[in-house]
Amino acid sequence: MHIPDAVLDPRVAALTGILGAAGLFYGLKSVEGQLKERTTSLMGMMSAFIFAAQMVNFPVGPGVSGHLLGGVLAAVMLGPWAGAVVIAAVLIVQCFLFGDGGLTALGANFVNMGLIGSVVGYAIYAPIRRWIGGQRGILIAAMIAAWFTVLLAAGACAAELSASGNHRDFFRILSWMALVHAVIGLGEAIITGLVVRFILLTRPDLIEQDPTFALEPQVPGGGPPRRWLAAILGGLGVALAVVVFLSPLASELPDGLEFVGQRIGFLAAGSPSSPIPVPMPDYQFPLPSLEHVKAATAVAGLVGTLVVFAVSWGLARVFSGAGRRSERASADAA
Amino acid sequence: MRLDAPDDRGKRAGPVHRLDARYKLLFTLAFVIAVVATPIGQWRVLGSLGLLLALLVGISGAPVRSLVFRWAGFALVVGFLAVMVAPGLPARASHGLVTVILSIVVKNSLAFLMMLVLATVTSWLDLLQAMRRLGVPRMLVATLQFMERYLHVLGEELARMSQARRARSFQGGSILSWRLLTGMLGMLLLRSFERAERVHSAMLARGWDGTIRTLD
Repeated sequence: MHIPDAVLDPRVAALTGILGAAGLFYGLKSVEGQLKERTTSLMGMMSAFIFAAQMVNFPVGPGVSGHLLGGVLAAVMLGPWAGAVVIAAVLIVQCFLFGDGGLTALGANFVNMGLIGSVVGYAIYAPIRRWIGGQRGILIAAMIAAWFTVLLAAGACAAELSASGNHRDFFRILSWMALVHAVIGLGEAIITGLVVRFILLTRPDLIEQDPTFALEPQVPGGGPPRRWLAAILGGLGVALAVVVFLSPLASELPDGLEFVGQRIGFLAAGSPSSPIPVPMPDYQFPLPSLEHVKAATAVAGLVGTLVVFAVSWGLARVFSGAGRRSERASADAA
Repeated sequence: MRLDAPDDRGKRAGPVHRLDARYKLLFTLAFVIAVVATPIGQWRVLGSLGLLLALLVGISGAPVRSLVFRWAGFALVVGFLAVMVAPGLPARASHGLVTVILSIVVKNSLAFLMMLVLATVTSWLDLLQAMRRLGVPRMLVATLQFMERYLHVLGEELARMSQARRARSFQGGSILSWRLLTGMLGMLLLRSFERAERVHSAMLARGWDGTIRTLD
């Protein structure tokens, strides 16, 4: 998912660079305020962990393997902004030492994997965790957040890739990206879920505490407004992720965009030599037809969502009985 | 991706190795931006930038063979992305699809090789120091420094754990191995946390108060 150099349009690279830098600066400030003098050791160690964890390959099929991305895992363990800072450190090391991900695309990569992966991921995670409650809530919410953030990141990546070119390209790139990332997201959700489950069974105290829980007994009545903000952000994130895999299906939408574009007039100026009325230009490669890809993407999205729900429910069954849990925990720790 | 990559620093101390890392960092940044900003189809500009890069590789004595190997593994991914992006670019109408794809791949290769050359001729600590002097937030630099220090420690820990796993189990079905692998990751996460605690205590014992002090 690392975008390399020279693929993005310079304007897109600059815009995402500014966005990423602002997000990272805010994240650093908030982490420093929260962790004080523990920041360096904890952030550095967690960055090293995520980096090392990304090198563990999980077998997917013959010749294919995947690995953890870790944005949601870091956010679950440390909180949203700390998770984003950890991902930023990983991306910087990958870029400077290994050439993985372009220098000019660093901002875009951080937006996709750090800001969406951790901050938006946490916004999805927090309300679900609160709603289900307990250790079950932590596990199920983490898995759902992992699944949706990968789809969202794929959507953002497609938007960035197509922003420099033709707007019509967006749906072509999006359907491919979403199809590939439905598989990656499923893997990410399951790996995140299994690791979080392991932590819950052995050292549940290490998971980042929900700050509003600790405050609640002391502040009677009306919860803090940040809860609503997180819920709204999370809901928005989920809705957008659903759009990512459903929108390629809505074939009316490109026409609508085109119509708006022509009304406003930004399309007519942009492409004088490529006539707009052509519905499907000649850049169709000998691949399965776009309609099939769109349908496959939507099916993959729906099936993936259902599978993530089912698997997370199954994995969380361990935590239903309090007595059984402590028994398992001591057995696992031994 | 391998962990041993940044380790061949200092062994071949050439003239470029000894330069101030700030200049190297700024030069790399300028080079990459110039490459990325070059319009599609401007082969002369790209060619002269490529000659400059070749000159740099020659002077610095960066290992050409490993650069080429790294690049070859990477070029496939870039080629795929270029094929995906190129049809929509406005430049396609005037230059043709092949030129656009080739331009993207060549531009990317130049930027990628430049980053690798920088990593070869500059040690990570020098690079971080240069970043700090150029205004990157101290906390971020300290985190990166800490991270690089423990990357190798955790990598070795992971290698030991995977060796232990291989010694104790068959190469089984994938569901089993997913359980084992995530268990390994979870264990590594716990150990990282505990190690961070221990290191933090050790830092406190030596007077750490959260401010980063350096000798320059």
